[in-house]
Amino acid sequence: MISGKKSSKFTANTQLKISPFFERTSKINMSQEWKRWGGFLASTKYDLHHDNEYFAIRTKAGLLDISPLYKYRIKGKDSKLFLNRLVTRNINICEVGQVMYSSWCDENGKVIDDGTIQRLDKEDFRLTSAEPNLYWLELNSYGMDVDIHDESEMISALALQGPNSRDIINSISSKSINDLKFFRIINTDFNGIEVSISRTGYTGDLGYEIWIKPSDSLKIWDILIKKGKDFGITPAGLNALDISRIEASLILLDVDYISSRHALIEDRKSSPYELGLGWTVKLNSGNFIGYKALKNENKNPSHWRFVGIEILWDDLEKLYKKVGLAPDLPHAAWRDSVPLYYNKSQVGYATSGCWSPILKKYIALAHVNSKYSSLDTILDFEIKVEHYRHLTPAKIVKTPFYNPKRKMSCPD
Amino acid sequence: MSRLDKYDAIIIGGGHNGLTAAAYLSKAGKKVLVLERRHVLGGAAVTEEVFPGFKFSVCSYVVSLLKANVIRELMLPRFGLEILPLESTFTPLDNDYLFRTSDYDQTYKEIYRHSKKDAENYTRFGPLMGQVGMAVRPILETIAPNAIRPSINDLLSLKSLLGHVKGLNNETFEYLCKLMTMSSADFLDEWFEFEPLKATMSASGIIGTFMGPRSPGSAYVMLHHYMGDIDGSFRAWGFQRGGTGELSMTIARSAKHFGAEILTEASVDKVIVKNGEAVGVALENGNEYKSDIVISGLDPKLTFLKMIDESDLPEDFVRDIKNFRIRGSSGKVNLALDGLPNFTSLPGDGPHLRGAISISPSYDHLERAYDDAKYGNFSKEPYMDIILPSVLDPTMAPPGKHVMSCFVQYAPYNINGGWDDNKREAFGDAVVNTLSRFAPNIKDLILHRQVLTPMDLEKTFGLTEGNIFHGELTLQQLFSFRPAVKWADYTTPIKNYYQCGSGTHPGGGVTGSPGEMAAKKILKIW
Amino acid sequence: MVDKKFDYIVIGGGINSLISAALLSKKNKSVLLFESCDQIGGMASLNEFSPGFKCNLIYDYIKWIDDRVIKNLKINKSLLEYIENDIYRISLNSNTNDHIFFNRDNNKTVKSIQSISKSDSEKWIDFTNYISKIASFLKPLYKITPPNIQKMGLGDAMSMKEMIKPMWSHGTRGFVDILRTLPMMMPELLDEWFESKLLRGTISASGIHHLNQGPYSAATVLNFLHHNLYSGSHILDANFIKGGVNNFSKVLKNKAIDNGAVIKINSKVISIDCSDDICHGVTLENGEKFFCNNIISGLDQNNTCIKLLGLENLNPNIRTQLNNIKYRGSTARIHFALKTIPKIKGVNNDQLKTVFSITPSINYLEKAFDEVKYGRFSSSPSIEFCIPSLINSGYAPNGKHVLSASIQYIPYKLKNKEWNKSLKDDIIKNVTNILDQYISNFSDIIIDSSISTPLDFENSLGITEGSFNHGDMTLDQFLFMRPTISSSQYRTHIKNLFICGPSTHPGGGLHGSNAFNMVNEILK
Ligand SMILES: Cc1cc2nc3c(=O)[nH]c(=O)nc-3n(C[C@H](O)[C@H](O)[C@H](O)COP(=O)(O)OP(=O)(O)OC[C@H]3O[C@@H](n4cnc5c(N)ncnc54)[C@H](O)[C@@H]3O)c2cc1C
Repeated sequence: MISGKKSSKFTANTQLKISPFFERTSKINMSQEWKRWGGFLASTKYDLHHDNEYFAIRTKAGLLDISPLYKYRIKGKDSKLFLNRLVTRNINICEVGQVMYSSWCDENGKVIDDGTIQRLDKEDFRLTSAEPNLYWLELNSYGMDVDIHDESEMISALALQGPNSRDIINSISSKSINDLKFFRIINTDFNGIEVSISRTGYTGDLGYEIWIKPSDSLKIWDILIKKGKDFGITPAGLNALDISRIEASLILLDVDYISSRHALIEDRKSSPYELGLGWTVKLNSGNFIGYKALKNENKNPSHWRFVGIEILWDDLEKLYKKVGLAPDLPHAAWRDSVPLYYNKSQVGYATSGCWSPILKKYIALAHVNSKYSSLDTILDFEIKVEHYRHLTPAKIVKTPFYNPKRKMSCPD
Repeated sequence: MSRLDKYDAIIIGGGHNGLTAAAYLSKAGKKVLVLERRHVLGGAAVTEEVFPGFKFSVCSYVVSLLKANVIRELMLPRFGLEILPLESTFTPLDNDYLFRTSDYDQTYKEIYRHSKKDAENYTRFGPLMGQVGMAVRPILETIAPNAIRPSINDLLSLKSLLGHVKGLNNETFEYLCKLMTMSSADFLDEWFEFEPLKATMSASGIIGTFMGPRSPGSAYVMLHHYMGDIDGSFRAWGFQRGGTGELSMTIARSAKHFGAEILTEASVDKVIVKNGEAVGVALENGNEYKSDIVISGLDPKLTFLKMIDESDLPEDFVRDIKNFRIRGSSGKVNLALDGLPNFTSLPGDGPHLRGAISISPSYDHLERAYDDAKYGNFSKEPYMDIILPSVLDPTMAPPGKHVMSCFVQYAPYNINGGWDDNKREAFGDAVVNTLSRFAPNIKDLILHRQVLTPMDLEKTFGLTEGNIFHGELTLQQLFSFRPAVKWADYTTPIKNYYQCGSGTHPGGGVTGSPGEMAAKKILKIW
Repeated sequence: MVDKKFDYIVIGGGINSLISAALLSKKNKSVLLFESCDQIGGMASLNEFSPGFKCNLIYDYIKWIDDRVIKNLKINKSLLEYIENDIYRISLNSNTNDHIFFNRDNNKTVKSIQSISKSDSEKWIDFTNYISKIASFLKPLYKITPPNIQKMGLGDAMSMKEMIKPMWSHGTRGFVDILRTLPMMMPELLDEWFESKLLRGTISASGIHHLNQGPYSAATVLNFLHHNLYSGSHILDANFIKGGVNNFSKVLKNKAIDNGAVIKINSKVISIDCSDDICHGVTLENGEKFFCNNIISGLDQNNTCIKLLGLENLNPNIRTQLNNIKYRGSTARIHFALKTIPKIKGVNNDQLKTVFSITPSINYLEKAFDEVKYGRFSSSPSIEFCIPSLINSGYAPNGKHVLSASIQYIPYKLKNKEWNKSLKDDIIKNVTNILDQYISNFSDIIIDSSISTPLDFENSLGITEGSFNHGDMTLDQFLFMRPTISSSQYRTHIKNLFICGPSTHPGGGLHGSNAFNMVNEILK
């Protein structure tokens, strides 16, 4: 399956896509567990258990292959105009070297996808997304002077996340990244190999994403692993990432919401307000797609709100105690829909949740009828204990659940 | 059994619809007799060992449209229903290929190779067509109302259909309207850009149809083929183990289990009509059978113009049936092979041989094939839908050997100068030559060849003009107009004479639907 | 500068725009109409194609005019008069001189058909009755605003009932026949009637008239009925107008002005100004702005929405629908300046004031279409021609003549090729060769010629892809799907922007039903 000779090209016997890092990641995946991510084979975890990878992210540095992200390069005179039309945020205030997170919507103000926009130059942007969006981008750029290019297979990417990530990069990069602020991007090189580094990530920790030419991928991986060793760099899989992103309350397409382009029925669609992304909707910034609908929605409260809940420990423990067991918590993050009740009637559903190893709390992200969504409201969370269904109290709490200062700060 | 026996119902034709009706009626306790002209059951859904050791699904070769409730209600799995999945489509091209499977990621990756936008749109197209299919299902499952003098029941069902249509979301409604009226090429052009993808998808809009992909109306036929069993996975084509005839046999076994009698080599000559009422049938061998009702599973032309004297039918009805369009446009070539074909663009054995193989490199290829037929010739370079049944079910051929089923568009029934042995062979050669453009070794592999022209389909299977659907699936021949207005609810102008073949709503294909709905209608008014 | 604020601004000076202006001003609304050219009339206007020689740009004759327009605007005979010729069409037979002469006296038509097929001649009267019966059921449908099926309430259903009534009253067959025939292709219909190739070809030509489909396409019967809605027993009817077709636009213009409408020519609208999905005026090319609360466009949807409204006022869904409208111009016009009267074989000189068809058979037409399918223009096209200089004066210098021909199919776009002069010359040469077979002196008398392809029409008249009908007349662009499923009630997604051109129900032609229906709709 894996070719040993240096000269011959690496191949893998799979119908799925493999990232340029697969030659390395496939060798160290001791669990041999893989998930599909955007048609790629992605490691679920490298060790037999993901704990170590998770703690690497929170205490040292986790290295994640994020190449499956879709990447679109948007250039040309009207590129800013186009992005302002596309996404809900105001791109006018995005400086060169800045990155913005935004969602984008259909004409009814329902979210299609979310991702980051990197401003690489005056008329040069890169958009990342979870699902393919090329058709949508081209449809909406009709008549504008922009050049949209699907870069998904032309850029590979690694996320280096965790408190030591800055030190690792500084030990390699020709430029120091001490001044690189949250949601900024710079170009630098690692041993003469050009890379871009953005201070972004999906873990809610101090962290960076490194954008690489695919042919340089293995070299960059090797450098990072080698130099990072002293800082505890640890390749991390999707399980560790999933827990981190829930702690950081970052939504995931197809798990926490469904793209309105694929929803088939109205009830499956969500507006940015309903996903807690109201802050990305800049109603005064112009006429983006869905603007009118969102302006109306902004006047009247949305039907749904997206909240964080904490399943209260004592009550949970009691339920288990009754059957003579200690609480048995999910090992990995779950992604099914779990009903939430208020006074016996269902008022929402949680879409992803996990035991937070660092907070020692059982947390989840949930869609809740806005009437019942204020902070500290106690809802009933459905749980199965020894084959029987029970309701156990869960409190609406502030998100993100976990938000270390280092995420945004710079060394003085 | 003696000729004196009187039956509750006699069914003319042991095609799968006739058998389905028989099973439902016997299940309801009726005494039923099925009379089949040939020595085998199944009609166009038949398996025959044409050459020693090689079994062909002579006509119909894939199953998807068979209704799930028929399967359940007639307990078909108990009688041998085993449908093997046929889950990919391979389109060989001259220097490349397109290979789609039921796996989302694999297919995305494959289409992305050819067109990035198409890959993205393809992920939306399937589910949306699923919605449209769901929107159409209630229409297909409604007994077609009498458009001229609707009964109370007709009005009620029309009202509920209208309510259903109004309940569709805008997008579904829009696509439904478009699919009813457009050409499959125009419809697909709104979605995709890669020609081989569009051509292959549009091809299901020309199967069994005298139209090209750019002919308006072909989008509906495409939808018809998309309406595979929605209970399972959508448009999941399958292959019945033992060939399509085995599927007919499971229905026959079910019918027998419920008490039906089935006679083969019993060709019906006429329906006996007394005082405007059907009272039985007369066979060509002179035997007569009496029954309370007679049901015909034949196509409308035979059902009315052969089985009944014109003088017994209303004049405008006779005109309608004469005007009913039933032009045949398809042929079938079944090959017995010494080994597997080797496609230049994707050599060797592989999963692509387990699914459908479509010779549809471009719209122009299909249109040119259509043009030939339009002007009275068989296509020199035809479109073909091919499967290799022996790859899925090794019992279809001797060990190491294979059978290949090629469904071919177009071969017109009314070919210039008429069909003869030379033309049949020339047609077979055109098929093999076209195939060898993509799989050059095919010529060396052929051990035997069976070529069926529309004329052969008529002669052997009693399909008038060789039309595979018992009548074209054009807008003016659907629903309340199939086969003729006023008589689209399985009844006929002759009292106690009914129809249940593919020439009735909802049309052709191995669906069991006309048979089932006719039986249910009959039981309701009996 | 007009400083008065008008109730309505109408964009475009074609037949439908003029009728809208005339009808609305008659209802005491103030109306301001802008036409970009130096004359009104749009597709019904006159053009000097060679010094001293004039031609009708697109239409040489009128098939029918909505009777409501005539009545409502009181257009009496003194204003607009048909030139009634006995022979209204001659279908030319190539080998023999057994042409079919379509005569207003149907018995004479029967006689003429007799020489090519006895059985066909016997069926002709029945056929015309059959078609006019079906057409009479279709007429009420042409006079309504198409229902929004999904939002159809009791009211809509009742109005549909009114429409269906005449069908029922004709006995049950009528209803059946219309539903049955509309989706048919021409050969299907004709298989039920005729055997003669020439007759079948000639009738089928009406089913593909100005359409980018061959006779073997489903629903060409719909297009056939569209053109013969008011033909009565004179199937394939063609009405010449005293003073030429542009006289109709002049009459309408005068009516509008009499009723108080203001008409400005040489005024090109370059944008419909709009904010928050409400439009409030238009801007002209010279920068002038006019404010108005109701805007009516007689242009096609590509011009109205994509060009004038602008992309920022179109959401992706609407734009996808607009992008998917099939325009597909199919017809070129060639005008020949002639030294003398052409001599048509087998036709007397006093029979020349009519329309000639070169449509030998259905297969001939279909083969012409086959070439378009593959991205070429027809090498053996269907041709319809007439000699306008014989019918009205002023088209040519004394003694000289003009022959105008409509050529199908000439596509808007060619595969792997751009339109250029030499290709166009090829078409002229080719058409000349074909006409030579029928007109003995043709090549010798040509002084000059001029051709307009669909691309030329797009450039000169602004009609998208040169589609005379502002969108092909196919079943998927009919009734509540014309021009798109979300704008089939003469309204657009912009609340106070209305559309009245041929892109709306019931489609193209110089009949004015579109505008009449729209006015009914907005005054409702
Ligand atoms: C070449 C070909 C390929 C096809 N491929 C497919 C496919 O892949 N998938 C699919 O879903 N559909 C396919 N079809 C269509 C499908 O097979 C038919 O629509 C369906 O089988 C028709 O079933 P039926 O019972 O209505 O009629 P038939 O199968 O036609 O049954 C009529 C029966 O009546 C018998 N009969 C005729 N005259 C008399 C008489 N006088 N007395 C007694 N019996 C008589 C006939 O022998 C026959 O058995 C195909 C058809 C053909 C021809």
